[in-house]
Amino acid sequence: MTTIAPYRAPQQAGQDGFWQLAHAEWTKFRTVRGWLIAAIFAMVLIDGLGLALVDAGGGVGGGCRASCAAAVPTGPSGEAVLDSFYYVRQPLSADGSLTVRVTSLTGEYQPQGGYVGPHTPSGLASKLVPWAKAGIVIQQSSKPGSAYAAMMVTGQHGVRMQYDYTGDIAGLPGQVSAASPRWLRLTRSGDTIIGYDSADGRHWIKVSSVQLPGLPKTVLAGMFATSPLYFQGNFPSYAQSGGGTSPSRATGVFDNVSLLGGRPGGAWTGEFVGSSERMDSMPGIGFHQAGGRFTITGTGDIAPIVGGGTNTNFVTGTIADHLVAVIFGLLVLAVIGAMFITTEYRRGMIRVTLTASPRRGRMLAAKAVVIGLVCFVLGLPTAALAVIAGSAISRSRGIYILPVSWLTQVQVIVGVAALLAVAAVLAMAVGTILRRSVVAVATVIVMFLVPYVLGDTSVLGSPALSEWMFRVTPVAAFAIQQSVPAYAQVAGQYGPPEYFALAPWAGLAVLCAYAAVALALATYLLRRRDA
Amino acid sequence: MAQATAAGRNATLPAGRARKGLAVLRAEWTKVRTVPETGWLVAAIAVLTVAVSTAVIATARCAAGTGCTADTTKLSLTGVLAGQAVVAMLAVLAISSEYSTGMIRTTFTAMPRRFGVLAAKATVLTGLVLPAAIIAVAGSLLAGREMMPGNGFTAAHGFPLLSLAHGPTLRAAVGSVLYLALVGLLCFGVTVIVRDSAAAIGTVLGLIYLPPIVALFVSSPVWQRRIERYAPTSAGMTVQNTTGMSHLPIGPWGGLAVLAIWAAAALIAGGLVLRLRDA
Amino acid sequence: MEATIEVAGLHKRFGSTVALDGMSFVVQPGKVTGFVGPNGAGKSTTMRVILGLDTPDQGTALVDGQPYAKLRRPLSHIGALLDAGALQPGRSARNHLLWLAHSQGMTVQRVDEVIEQAGLGTAARRKAGGYSLGMRQRLGIAAAMLGDPPILMLDEPFNGLDPEGIVWARAFLRSLAAQGRAVLVSSHLMSELQDTADHLVVTGRGRVIADTSVAELIAAASGDRVTLRTRERSQAMTVLAQAGGTVATTDRDTLSVGGLPAERVVTLLTEAGVPFAEVSAHRASLEEAYMEMTRDAVEFRAQPVQEATP
Repeated sequence: MTTIAPYRAPQQAGQDGFWQLAHAEWTKFRTVRGWLIAAIFAMVLIDGLGLALVDAGGGVGGGCRASCAAAVPTGPSGEAVLDSFYYVRQPLSADGSLTVRVTSLTGEYQPQGGYVGPHTPSGLASKLVPWAKAGIVIQQSSKPGSAYAAMMVTGQHGVRMQYDYTGDIAGLPGQVSAASPRWLRLTRSGDTIIGYDSADGRHWIKVSSVQLPGLPKTVLAGMFATSPLYFQGNFPSYAQSGGGTSPSRATGVFDNVSLLGGRPGGAWTGEFVGSSERMDSMPGIGFHQAGGRFTITGTGDIAPIVGGGTNTNFVTGTIADHLVAVIFGLLVLAVIGAMFITTEYRRGMIRVTLTASPRRGRMLAAKAVVIGLVCFVLGLPTAALAVIAGSAISRSRGIYILPVSWLTQVQVIVGVAALLAVAAVLAMAVGTILRRSVVAVATVIVMFLVPYVLGDTSVLGSPALSEWMFRVTPVAAFAIQQSVPAYAQVAGQYGPPEYFALAPWAGLAVLCAYAAVALALATYLLRRRDA
Repeated sequence: MAQATAAGRNATLPAGRARKGLAVLRAEWTKVRTVPETGWLVAAIAVLTVAVSTAVIATARCAAGTGCTADTTKLSLTGVLAGQAVVAMLAVLAISSEYSTGMIRTTFTAMPRRFGVLAAKATVLTGLVLPAAIIAVAGSLLAGREMMPGNGFTAAHGFPLLSLAHGPTLRAAVGSVLYLALVGLLCFGVTVIVRDSAAAIGTVLGLIYLPPIVALFVSSPVWQRRIERYAPTSAGMTVQNTTGMSHLPIGPWGGLAVLAIWAAAALIAGGLVLRLRDA
Repeated sequence: MEATIEVAGLHKRFGSTVALDGMSFVVQPGKVTGFVGPNGAGKSTTMRVILGLDTPDQGTALVDGQPYAKLRRPLSHIGALLDAGALQPGRSARNHLLWLAHSQGMTVQRVDEVIEQAGLGTAARRKAGGYSLGMRQRLGIAAAMLGDPPILMLDEPFNGLDPEGIVWARAFLRSLAAQGRAVLVSSHLMSELQDTADHLVVTGRGRVIADTSVAELIAAASGDRVTLRTRERSQAMTVLAQAGGTVATTDRDTLSVGGLPAERVVTLLTEAGVPFAEVSAHRASLEEAYMEMTRDAVEFRAQPVQEATP
């Protein structure tokens, strides 16, 4: 018998690090043509459906079109604002102070609701809307969107100091009445404006001090009244939300008016600021002076415009409006993600995989990186197209897209791509845990779709529950699509698709947490179980 | 003589058919009950439905002065939205598992009348879904009856205690049970056509859940209404409504009928495909 | 260090079923080792344990002196074929080999080499889902060869191969052993290994029944018996029994004689004038030897559970 020398391979090139595993997983992914086609189909679905769906009915329902949107002013920090109110004012040169007493705030609204044209008959119903405002304001100029600081009484939120549209600080609580009047004071010193309030005109409380950088020497100071659209929630469906707003007006009564400082004009003049169309639609706008007593009736608002069209009488949109089909694409990717591993179990190929890479955790990580990267890389241009082309389409149809910073655009685009990627990774992890295609795919779909459907307030009629759906379930990540902030000082429908319960990145973090937990469990089970 | 034979055959034929039908039914029942996951899925229909319903009921609030407009019956039956996913799984597995293992050939060899096999499988599926659905709906309504008043949905606020003696509530309850059974048949029919289990579950869950979401975002009211009237689950779920009936896109029984038409169409298409295609 | 598979004292239970009950053996380089036993003897489980796919309750399995999970670029240490059907049907054979190659940092060139080696040729670019079982076996063998490993482990590689394929596979395995590789081939049909294996590990009921070279096994089963044909059966029996042989009739005119060498049988019968024909030393086939052993295993199985014989 001859002894044979043990075999030694001539060359031992190559490595088996993480990169090699990821390369292998990528080869696996790209060589099943169905997966690649399905992934691209998911992207076509997101853009195709997203761009087609929202414009299916032509978008704008009435009211005003491009002309209206073109006239929307933006505030000092770039956000779209409403700057519409009745104003009784005079110029104030250099430093000074304005003090008034407000003894009454009352209001009415037009119960017909909807988009009210100029010729609507004026059947008004008594209603002081929660954010009706009457007070004093120091303003950079009469140009819409200019910087300001104001002290005011409100319908239901007590005394507030507001400035530059987004700033809002609470003062004395409670409603104003003849028996319980409110004294308001603004003092200007250079760029600094300080607001005070008082219940008796003797004991003053400083509410806050705000800086209005670049305030010119001569500013406008005066009294105003305004009242936003009366927004009634509880709609059967979002699509009808535009119909839940009614124009309203508010009347404030002022006395003990004292303006100290340089007064080049010397007399109070009244003026309606903002869209005249708005003024025509509401009767009785103006002011009346009797001795030291001013009665001012106004309509409109001095506030940022919020998404969902709840405080404007024209159609607004956000840059994320055309991302509505992301859920569809996400489901397709989730199915691919789950099947990326369950097909291996179904055919016993998992044994080949684990023979080639016995470090199981690393293999799973490589799989997660590959499926995640594929979805991210495909999702990025898809989301960018939906945002950029979608906004352009909306604008061409006369929809006013609420302006946002480039950073917010990046947040939405990158965030949506990340949402798709993390969802696919979560699905892959669930597939690893459950191993069977049907069970895994069903679980993943239910994980996203049931909360998504329940998250719609029209399904449950319970906004609190809908909010929880977008807080604790994987769909919380859709918060990344929120491009405009919600404001406590503006009544609105702060729900999907414009608004979410969590901050954008916090929402995405919830999904990441789900994915991390699922991956950890999957790794543990994969290591522990016999393949 | 010839006449007599023919008559005799005619006489025995129906009985023979019936016996054969029963045998097929029994065979399918044996198949289903000897798979361990059947029991789990049937139990999951009831458990998931009641769990989701209870969670919804627990978080629903009717705070004084806010003028809550909730439909307490519909709210209590919310879990059906989740439970139908399990029904879909059961329906898909009822046939796709035979395709994926090649057992379908054994089945068709033993029982060559494919339409009969399909009917037997559909009957067995419905027989499994119905009791689970009854428990699911009863449990959900019971939870609503017990918990709703504690959350402010009291008679004083205009929300009487949930009761099957109340006509619309009874309709919602019976309708929800039928809804789940019909969803099962729809998914079953689709699966017969699609065959591959993963593709089938994706398709049926898409069919169930996507139209309501599309309806949310379609800006055209015409299309929105079309979806709400003719999509299988959007229409079918209207049977749960007990308030605001005048605003419904389609009447409660009409909505359920739409779902029934979908299910019937899927079954018939499945049957035809089954007959025309090689196993 | 020689590249081998070392399995020591493997125990594994699936629920109440004992799959492995002290499985121990060593596979040597330069030989084809047959891993045989009836269905359910624990062959596949042992192979999975060797590859680190299943965790044994007790015992160790080493490849190249290390547990499988510790191997760097495992496919260059051991090539394995467990289940030829373990494929994604939509992926081509070449792409299946390609992802495996990428996982070890190997190049496309190596993939094309093994495709040639396994005789897949142009079929490698077709979807693996449409392959016959024989083609899948070739693909599985190609995958096992990918890392040019010194150890190969193949589970039932002859299944589904056509006669031509079986001849090819045998020659291929022999050539691998001739190169100095350790080759472990499992089968439940001993006849498949008749002309292929040098060494045998025979299993039954989760443990090794025999660990022996093929030559030894056949000799043991043949048991020095001499077969002869004669028309005078009783006369021949008397003569041979008197000379101290143990004689048994195996057919109407055939005798099997033990305890006497063939030359002595010829001399005795010639001297006694008994007519005879066809005296031959009996050589058991591998199949017979195997049947004998597994019969023991079956008998053993029929007994109540007891401790292993020392």
